[in-house]
Amino acid sequence: MIYRIANPARRAAASKVRITFILVILVVLWIAPVRAGSMPRVERIVLPNNLVVLVSEEHSLPFVVFQMLMDAGSRLDPAGKEGLANLTAKGLLLGTSTQNANAINEALDFMGASLNTSAGQDYAVVGLQVLKKDLEKGVDLFIDSLTNPVFPEQEIQKEKKKILGAIQAADEQPMSLAEKSFRKTLFPESPYGHPVEGTRESVSGLSKEDTSRFYQTFYRPNKAILAIVGDITVEEVRAKVIPLFAKWPASQVETGPINATYSKGSQTVKISRQITQANIILGNIGVRRDNPDYYSLSVMNYILGGGGFGSRLTEEIRVKRGLAYSVASFFDAEKYQGSFQIVMQTKNPSARESIALVLKEMERIQKEPVSDENLRRAKAYLTGSFPLRIDTQSKLAGFMAQVEYYGLGLDYPEKYPSLINSVSGQDVLRVAKTYLFPEQVILVIVGNLKEAGMESPSSTP
Amino acid sequence: MISKITRGVRSVLLSFFFCLLFVTLSFAGLADQVFEKILDNGLKVLLVENHKAPVITFQVWYRVGSRNEQWGRTGLSHMLEHMMFKGSKKFSAQEFTRLIAENGGNDNAFTSEDFTAYFENISSDKAQVLIDLESDRMHNLVLRNEDFQTERMVVMEERRMRTEDDPQAFLMEQVQATAFQTSPYHWPTIGWKEDIERFTLADLKSYYSTYYNPVNAIVVVVGDFRKEDLLPRIEKGFGGIPRGVAPEQKKDVDQPQSGERRVFAKREAELPYIVMAYHVPNLQSPDSYVLEVLEALLSTGKSSRLYQSLVQEKQLALSVDADNSLLSRDPSLFTLTAQPLSEKDVTEVEKALNEEIERIRAKPVGLQELEKAKNQLEAAFVYGQASLFYQGMLLAQYEIARDWRNVDEYLPSIRKVTPEDIRRVADLYLTPENRTVGRLIPLPPKEGKPAPAEPSASGRMIR
Repeated sequence: MIYRIANPARRAAASKVRITFILVILVVLWIAPVRAGSMPRVERIVLPNNLVVLVSEEHSLPFVVFQMLMDAGSRLDPAGKEGLANLTAKGLLLGTSTQNANAINEALDFMGASLNTSAGQDYAVVGLQVLKKDLEKGVDLFIDSLTNPVFPEQEIQKEKKKILGAIQAADEQPMSLAEKSFRKTLFPESPYGHPVEGTRESVSGLSKEDTSRFYQTFYRPNKAILAIVGDITVEEVRAKVIPLFAKWPASQVETGPINATYSKGSQTVKISRQITQANIILGNIGVRRDNPDYYSLSVMNYILGGGGFGSRLTEEIRVKRGLAYSVASFFDAEKYQGSFQIVMQTKNPSARESIALVLKEMERIQKEPVSDENLRRAKAYLTGSFPLRIDTQSKLAGFMAQVEYYGLGLDYPEKYPSLINSVSGQDVLRVAKTYLFPEQVILVIVGNLKEAGMESPSSTP
Repeated sequence: MISKITRGVRSVLLSFFFCLLFVTLSFAGLADQVFEKILDNGLKVLLVENHKAPVITFQVWYRVGSRNEQWGRTGLSHMLEHMMFKGSKKFSAQEFTRLIAENGGNDNAFTSEDFTAYFENISSDKAQVLIDLESDRMHNLVLRNEDFQTERMVVMEERRMRTEDDPQAFLMEQVQATAFQTSPYHWPTIGWKEDIERFTLADLKSYYSTYYNPVNAIVVVVGDFRKEDLLPRIEKGFGGIPRGVAPEQKKDVDQPQSGERRVFAKREAELPYIVMAYHVPNLQSPDSYVLEVLEALLSTGKSSRLYQSLVQEKQLALSVDADNSLLSRDPSLFTLTAQPLSEKDVTEVEKALNEEIERIRAKPVGLQELEKAKNQLEAAFVYGQASLFYQGMLLAQYEIARDWRNVDEYLPSIRKVTPEDIRRVADLYLTPENRTVGRLIPLPPKEGKPAPAEPSASGRMIR
């Protein structure tokens, strides 16, 4: 959390998309008898085609955010067609039965609106941000792209080239390389094991027909959640927006549980690069989002390495020893599977020492109960920082949609503080013992292995 | 899931870049919402009430950045930023962290060429603790050698991560050092490696006493508070700090460039990268607003000129960008960047960039296209207002570059731009003589393929 930014203005962002939908994960809902002004009110409407629509009015600024989650993430990629969910999501914006990509882009840019699509592991997101005065036109483009895409051959081929280029460019970033390698090692057989964007080999083989088929199968209202936040009333949504979505036909879709296998036992992956730092990921299997221990894990992880400067890992590795600029731990809890990771970079010669320190902290939190003071602080942060998670229209829309997607319940916001506050020191100890495997970690290191003293393939770090 | 947010530097950085994309966008009427009070000790306080969510952003900006440094001591501003978290007279480093966290706040800091800024985003009822913490470290910072030695190692790690191991950032540093010869924008904000190793605790102490004074600082608070309540507290907390002496802020700027400069960087990388950087004025000149529109025409949205030409039609590049420097304190650079696709010749990419520049110099843009760019800029500032943090940052940046009141000139200035303005300004600044071209020449990784995963024999790591 506490990372200093040097020279923020100097480096140009790689691509200019003025508006991004920031997905803020985990949070808490509102609804209910709200303390004056603290939680936004949300209206939940279910259409006959089972599309769930969530609306929260926010009239302080003249714009509206739409965010749709489609249960169509990369975990549904067929074997050998890794990257298909991603290409399909991108393909939505490449032309519809009535207008081509250029016409769509011109229209969006002329309004200063943004329409973006992206895929994650669990779901794809289609997001629109549009000024109130252009609402009707913006919604038309949103619905047209979502329900009438034609995936033109030529545009799909171009998009594939871009994705292949992006895959190559990402290989230049050592942490991105490490992350891919970690997933692949932890989930060798699981649909969570491959990169969302696919691989060079798999993307090359994707076709227009593949995208059409994936789209026809998974892009269905009964598998979608639409969150709307901004300068629009619930009545307007009912009168002007819902009728448009009501025409979208539902269809039976099988997106059920997956074969959630994963690697057990320790493994080490070393990737050599001529760089000054060792980029390290160390971790093990995690939990699904619906695991009841999720909240105990949130508290435990905050104390271990999730809490920035307040966390043990930052204290031991950065503050006391100056070994890293950043070190953090997290549980990445997806719908059907998850991972636990500790991520850091340190100069090559410090790699071994830093890894040893991380393992020591994993073991310590398994052996020693945390102090009451530590526990109190973690809970105070987790519950107290809640309002910051939903303080913009985009954050709120993302949050609402995710609460619905992960089935956390409309009363989640009310429940959240008590879910966190009921975690005991014993719970923290128990989940640390249950979910951390310091003796069986998967370790990925991307760096100058010679300088790190880890060059020999047979040497364990 | 929750911790994805805290996962690492990248995400934090990106969100900052994201903010900065917006930084050039002001909004009509923001200045009208500002209440300004200059305390007797010279501290400028800017307050904006906004009650849409029960949170505030509390920001302290110091008018000091790498432009204030000396040759041989570069990176001192940023080093001091790190040391500001190491404890003050009333609060130890641990207490500082604890007080913010247990009140549910997120805090951070950032340094640029022109400023060093500290902020906390927090529930609106927690302002007092921030006043206590920020006022104490404004003049009672405790600088210990032991902390400094360790934190210097952290900064070295930061430089490795941000620059040494990031080929594009490395090239940018080279371009900047080539484009600026006289101006202190020559050196990177994080500092040259040798300087980070060289500077001393005494340097930090003297730097702190020169620049960290009320007369050289701005407090900005945006959010859910009542100024009748907050202002007296700020006056009480900060009012007793001695004024200090306003530091000399005038810095040399470069003479007009008299011919194209080129710089190359060879690094281990997957793809080449090209930068074209032109000297341009900042918001002191009306031309800077024309350059804002030009930036949008060239690179905002998929229908923009560079994207259409290089990415869509010619399929030469993976990404393209244009970036103006409206809010820099001294005149800075207008940059075009492109990441060529792997099989493409970077010379061809440069040629395509050039063609777009020459086209815009030669022929006025159509009215429809101009209107589109203006609409984009206008919409973006409306969206940007959703973030209280961004509002505060925008006001502070205007204040440091010139005056926060100028924020309200932005939109009218944009609206006034004509097709002929665009042609004239492009023709004046986007010339080969006025530019520095940087190219990244990728060297293939020594070992391209990951080694296969190996089960470790003992199943146990050595400590």
